[in-house]
Parts: sequence; structure tokens; C-alpha cells
Amino acid sequence: MSGLRRDTRYLLATTAPGVFFIVVFLVLPSAYLVAMAFLSNGPYGLPTAPLTLDAFRELAGFGFLGWSPGNLYTLIRSVWQSLLATAIVIVIAYPAAYYISRQPVRWRAVMLLAVVVPSWTNQVIRSVGWMNIFAPDTVVSDLAVRVGLTEPQMGLFPSQFAVIVGLVYNFLPFMVLPLYAAFERLDTEQVEAARDLFASPVAVFRHAVFPQTLPGLMAGTVLVAIPAFGMYVVTELLGGGKATMIGNLVARQFVQASNWPLGAAGAIIMIVVTLIGLKVLRDLGRRVGGDREVLL
Amino acid sequence: MADPAVGSPRTESAIRVDATSKSFERGVRAVDAVDLEVGAGEFFTLLGPSGCGKTTLLRLLAGLEQPDSGRITIGGQVMDGVPPHRRSVNTVFQSYALFPHRNVRRNIGFGLEMRGIDAGEIDERTQRMAELIGIDGLLDREVAQLSGGQRQRVALARALINEPDVLLLDEPLSALDADLRGRLQLELKRLQRRLGMTFVFVTHDQEEAMVMSDRMAVLDAGRIVQVGTPDAIYEAPAALFVARFMGHQNFVPIHARDATGVETPLGRLEGAFGAGDHLLLRPETIRLDDEAQTVPNCFEATVEERLYRGETTEYRLACGGLRLLASRANRGQPEHRVGETIRVGVSPHGTATVSD
Amino acid sequence: MTGRSLALALRGFWYLLLVFLYAPLAVVVFYSFNAINSSARFAGFSLTWYEQLFSNDAIIGALLNTVALALTSSLIAIVIGGMLGYGFYRYRLRRLSWLIWLIYLPMVMPDIIFGIAEMIFFIAIDERLGILGPGLGTMIIAHVTFQVPFVALLVNARLLALDPQLFEASQDLYASPWQRARFFLLPVLSPAIVSSFLLALTLSIDDFVISFFTAGPESTTLPIYIWSAIKKGVTPEVNAIATLMIGSVFFMALISLVVQRRPSASSTTNRSASS
Repeated sequence: MSGLRRDTRYLLATTAPGVFFIVVFLVLPSAYLVAMAFLSNGPYGLPTAPLTLDAFRELAGFGFLGWSPGNLYTLIRSVWQSLLATAIVIVIAYPAAYYISRQPVRWRAVMLLAVVVPSWTNQVIRSVGWMNIFAPDTVVSDLAVRVGLTEPQMGLFPSQFAVIVGLVYNFLPFMVLPLYAAFERLDTEQVEAARDLFASPVAVFRHAVFPQTLPGLMAGTVLVAIPAFGMYVVTELLGGGKATMIGNLVARQFVQASNWPLGAAGAIIMIVVTLIGLKVLRDLGRRVGGDREVLL
Repeated sequence: MADPAVGSPRTESAIRVDATSKSFERGVRAVDAVDLEVGAGEFFTLLGPSGCGKTTLLRLLAGLEQPDSGRITIGGQVMDGVPPHRRSVNTVFQSYALFPHRNVRRNIGFGLEMRGIDAGEIDERTQRMAELIGIDGLLDREVAQLSGGQRQRVALARALINEPDVLLLDEPLSALDADLRGRLQLELKRLQRRLGMTFVFVTHDQEEAMVMSDRMAVLDAGRIVQVGTPDAIYEAPAALFVARFMGHQNFVPIHARDATGVETPLGRLEGAFGAGDHLLLRPETIRLDDEAQTVPNCFEATVEERLYRGETTEYRLACGGLRLLASRANRGQPEHRVGETIRVGVSPHGTATVSD
Repeated sequence: MTGRSLALALRGFWYLLLVFLYAPLAVVVFYSFNAINSSARFAGFSLTWYEQLFSNDAIIGALLNTVALALTSSLIAIVIGGMLGYGFYRYRLRRLSWLIWLIYLPMVMPDIIFGIAEMIFFIAIDERLGILGPGLGTMIIAHVTFQVPFVALLVNARLLALDPQLFEASQDLYASPWQRARFFLLPVLSPAIVSSFLLALTLSIDDFVISFFTAGPESTTLPIYIWSAIKKGVTPEVNAIATLMIGSVFFMALISLVVQRRPSASSTTNRSASS
């Protein structure tokens, strides 16, 4: 039918520009980056012809001086720091989302906006804020000195502590929003039914409230843990050598060290871990969410 | 049996549908080789259960779907490949589909605006149409502020103002409560008569169809089973499906027949019955008690349930292994209790038969 | 704990949270008016840093680049993303689910890899073809690429929330394809288009990593300027620049609040089940 072909033309006309952008400026470059991991590192830090797995060997820690665990530690630290930050974010966001959902309707939008607005400022600026706070001799640093957390004149950054604070600060809104949505949809009849059936406040929460907020919690976890794992700015500005994450390791190969194949190999590892993380969280979401599709 | 004369319109036809079929992806034939003729100025109803193809047939008329085969003619013009915006046909949608970004006035004027009619004329015609439908007080309201009945009227005005050859109505009353629905049925019917416009109305409610239609078509599984006036279809359904759908409940199988009567689970019934294999006993024609003596066939039945409905009382009866529903106008006759045995009479007069 | 004291505790917690959320920004704004370059001691109110800032051509250039990048990329993204969201809606019955993954890709891809992949790609193209050398152009391309999916999803969500019979009603009421776009789609989508434009702007302004890797020597933006100032250890105007950016974000927040509060024509109450 002639209508069908016109349909196809419209379909192409509407979707082609967007698809073109994503394919040409993201899929192709990513493929190029992946391919680069299998090349050798040339004399000027640029990749050259012979195909090898040297980059992966080097990434795994095998060098001239035998095996060193530095890169492996970096990978483990990336996972650990993003999980720790996610856990702290959950502890802060859960009561906050609950509190917002209990306010009069006209206040909720404003309160949500108040949570979100800081994340609209640039990542670098947010970190600059914490650098101001954690600098030596500030009120906060003095307090930290007094309770013995740090030495005088040292300040609180660069440190792993500062990185965790920075991560929590960056990603808090991404947990508050889905949790708020879950609390807003909360079926209060379930809560009343639980009360009616003699449940204690703790039991009410455990059986009638928490399960209903799980989908929001899982969605928030994906939105926090996945980008936290790939963080670059916060670790670069607030963290020292002991807080480096894999994103910094990869970037360094392109910015300073000029070992592109090594950087590309690191990027592949990052993508793989990100995909595994997504899959694990999705499966977990399916299991706890029952038949409800939690994400994607 | 249906009189073939009532199967075709009395006047020249506004719509002709010839051997038209439409299938969807999963291979379901939504409309299967349908032939149909609707006369100019007729109130014509497509009646059937959900999934019978009535809405698809309506959408074919509107041009919202293209048929796989066959031909549709509207107002004498063949509609092959004519897109909806070039057809002199308008639709009142089931959800009303009022544009949320326009107020009532600008909703009603939408079609005229799209056809390039000048603003002054649109204003004037909108005003007149709003008065006709009784919504002139609502013209400057936002759509979100309207009640269900008001939306229905706005949707109607928005379609009618274009003065189409045919107005299509897709279950336009199904979202309203019973009371409002009844009132709007009458209004719609009066309006149609006054305008003399051809209406094609889709519903799954047989009472609504009977109240409103000049003629109707009963559809099942994409095919038209019967076309005719409401009384012809109710009194002489062409198939068991039609009879059931029109609300008939008492089907008595005929085991054997001879010149003077038929053999049924109720016993032998004397009289000249039709040729179908089931008797169709209408609840209001079943006689009870003394009245039963006045008709040729009389037998005994047990009262299983009694439902008092005000004007009438319904008795659910068990008899010969069958369940029958009898309905009697309340005129102070003695009432019967559940479990009582009563006399029941069936007359061949006014008793139709039906075949599967 | 009784319900009353729980409510009090929650309220206290909320105020603490607000302190946590706004302290870093407040500190930046506060010390941008400090007479000396320190975030430990306030030596009196002064506009020194702002004077320096506005007399520094490099910063003014970076400011203009930031604005040009955000506006241009957002405008391109709402056109391309809007069309993509519509195409997805219009042809949702076709087997397009693989395309959805293409849309999610820019959203799940770590920024740093996104940026590096584009950097090496642009360099390679530039070496061979002499086009797409790093600069404002490549930054705009990169930003559009990560903005498009968000715009497409917003527009698509709005379309999915509409009564599908509205599309048919506009056809039925004599609107030609062009008139349907002009008199039905655009007005109905305008709230979604405005909010996706604001979102695209925010995404562009929030981004540092991708800009950093796709920028050229002439296309420094404010965040990149701040970054290199910190890396070089020269930080006098950083707080002042950051304050300007924070101010503009609060301005946008205000706009979005007004847009949200506006009695919108975006009701979906017109929806109803259809057979």
C-alpha cells in the first residue's frame, strides 16, 4: 500500500537525525575506543599497528618490575566507594523523601526543587564549595582537628572522606526523587490494614511500608551507584592518591601519561563493570519488586 | 424470519459498504466481507459485543483505517485511499477527545478553522451550534472544567458544526451514568430527526440501540448477522446469537415436529410454530395461573426465585429440566412463594423460533 | 518514640539536610565577597574579585562560550530529540525496541568514557579529513548527543499520556498533516518542549567532563576555566565565577517554579478507556 511507504518515510524523517547523532557521535567513537585497547602503545603515546593484549596485561598490573596490585586496588576502591556513598545516600534520602511526601501538596514541589537545585550547578562548582569548607583553618576543619580527625593546618581534603562527602552531595537528589515518588504512591490502606491487624509500628514499617518503597529504592540505587562508579571530577578535586577511582586512572592515560591503549582497556573494564552492575541491580529489582518492573 | 424489505434503506443511500474486509496484525479478521447500506437521514446503529468489529467498521467509514479489500462509498463518492481529513464525515469519539489546549469555543471551531473558514463565520456558527446543543453558557470554559455530560455535548457540537454527510458516534454515551445517559439518548435522537442527518451509532447496549435506531445491524466476529428495524430484530432474531444478545433468555429446544405441534422438554406444545430449532419464549408472553388456562398449551412449573421489580414481578421457573423466566405486570394478582408449583401457559401466537 | 517526637525529629533532620545541601554553595557565595583570597577568614566585604573577573578577557570569553554552548546545544537538542520522541510514539507499534537501547546508551555511559571516546574520535576525524577539530563545534555536537535522549524521553512520555483519540480527532476534523503539527501537536507538546529545553540547559551547564575532553584551546567554558585555575593553584576569582553560575541556576529554578505553577493546559483528565 502506498500509505505504508509514506509511513516509512515519516518514520525515517523523525527518527533519523537523533539516531544519527547517537550512532555517529557515541556508538562509533565508543567502538573506536574499544578497538584501541587491542593496539600497541606507540612511541608518542599514540596507538600503533600490532594487535596485542598488552594493554590488558599492563592494566592487570604486570609491568617491567613484576606484578603490582595498584590498578586492581583502584577498581576495588571504585566499587567500594560508590557502594559506600550509595548506602549513605539511602540513609539520608529515605527519611527526607518520607518527610516531603507528608507535607501539604503545595509545599512538596518547592521542597523537591530545594533538594534538586544544588545539583543543577556545575559539578566543578559543587566540589569547589566543599573545597572551601574543607580547607585548612575553616570552622569545619577546626572542629575536625579538635575531635582528632585530622592534624592542624591540614584541612579535610584531599581525602577519601572528602570524596565520599562529595559523592553523597552529588547524587543525593537522584535517590530522593524516586523514593519520594514511591512514598507519594504509597497505598495507605495497606498501612491501615497492618495496624488493624495488630502490627507494631516496626512491623507496620517492615511489612506494609518498606516493601512498597522498594521499587523507588532500587531505581535510586541505579541512579546513584552507577554514575558514582564512573565519577571523575569529585575524586580529582577532593581526593588524593588514596581515593583515586577507575575513571581517574583511565583519564590519566589520555591526559598525562599518554598511553591510549591502556586507557582504552581501562574504559572497557569500566563499561563491563557498569553493565554488570546494571544487570545485578536489575535482577535484584525484579526479585524484590515481584512482578513489578522496577527499572528500564 | 426477517422481512428482506427491512434489510435495505427506504431512501437513497448515504453509505454503501461492499464486500469490505479488514484484518489486523495477528491475523484477526476484525471486519469480514461486510456489505451494508445506510440510507440518507437514517439513524443507523452497529450493535454487538466488544470485539465484534463494530468500532473497526466505524473507523473504516471515518477513514481512520484503510480496508484490505472491498469498497466504501459515502455520499456517492468512492472513499478508496481518501484520508480522514478529506472526508465529509465526522466522529464523536468514545473518549470525546476534546483538545486539552483549547477552550470549548476553540474546540468547536477547530474543524472550520482547519478548512480555512473566516473567523467571523466560525464565531457565528459556533454560537448557533452551541445554542442548538444547549452549551452556549460553556463556550469560554476550559475542557478540564467540564462534566462528562458537558464534554459529550461539546464533542457532538464540534462534529456537527461541520455539517458532514454522515455523523459517526462511537459509544458516545458509555462513560455516563444511567440517568444522564437516558436523557442524552432522547436528545440525540430528537436532534438527529431535526437535522435530518445520517447518524451511524456504535453501541454494545441493545436497549440503547432499540430506543434510538431507525435500523440496526447486529455484528458478531466481524460479520453482520442481521440487519433490520429494532422490532423486527427483537421479535424475529435471525440466529440464536442475535436472540441472546437482544436479551432473550428462554430458549426451548424442539426435538420433533408434526403438522399440529412440536415436542419439547416441556412436553408437547400444540400450534403452528416457525421452522427454527428453538422456541423463543418471551417472558412477558408466558401466562401464569388462571391466565394459563386461556392458551392452548398449559403445564406445571416450580417457582425457584421471585424478583419484585415494581411494575412487574419476575418468576424464575423450573420445568422439564429447563429454567424459564416469566414476567408479569403487577395488577394485584396473588403472589407466589419460592417452592410453590404453579400453572404456566404458552401460546403459539407471538412465539418465534430461532436456529443456530 | 511517639508520633509527635518522630515528626519533630524529621523536621529537624530536614533542616539539617537543607544546611548540608546549601552550605557549599553559600560558602562559595560568601567568600566571593571576601577582601582576601581565603575561605578560612573573612576580612571584610569587597567586590575585588568581581572587578578582576569582569576585566579578565579570558573569563568573559569563557562566560560567552558557556552561554553559547548551552543555548545552541539545547535548541538543536529539542528539535532533534523532539522529533525522535515523536517518531518513537507515532511508530510505537513497530518493532523499535532496539532503538530504545540506543536512547538509553548515552544515559548509562560513564561521562568520562563518553568524553574520551568523543575526544579521540574527533581527533581522528580531524587528522584525516580536517574537519571537526576540537572547539565549540565539537562541544555542541557532544552536548546534543547526551541531551537528545532526555528530550526524546520527555516528549515521548507526554505523548503517551495523551488520549490517542486526540490524534484521530484532529484528522477527523479536516486537519492536514501540516495543520496537525501546527495546530495540535505543537500546542499540546509545548509544556514538554519548554521543560525539556530547561532540562537540556541544565544538563549542558552541569556538564564538565564531556566539555573538558571535547573542548579546544579557544573554547574554554567557565567550569573548564575554574578547573584549570584550581589545577594551576591560582584561585582568586574562582568563588566569584562560581557565584555567577550559582546565581544563574537559581534564576532558572525560579523560572521552572513559575512554569510549574502556571495553570497549565496540560490536563490529561480528558483521557478515558477506549475499546
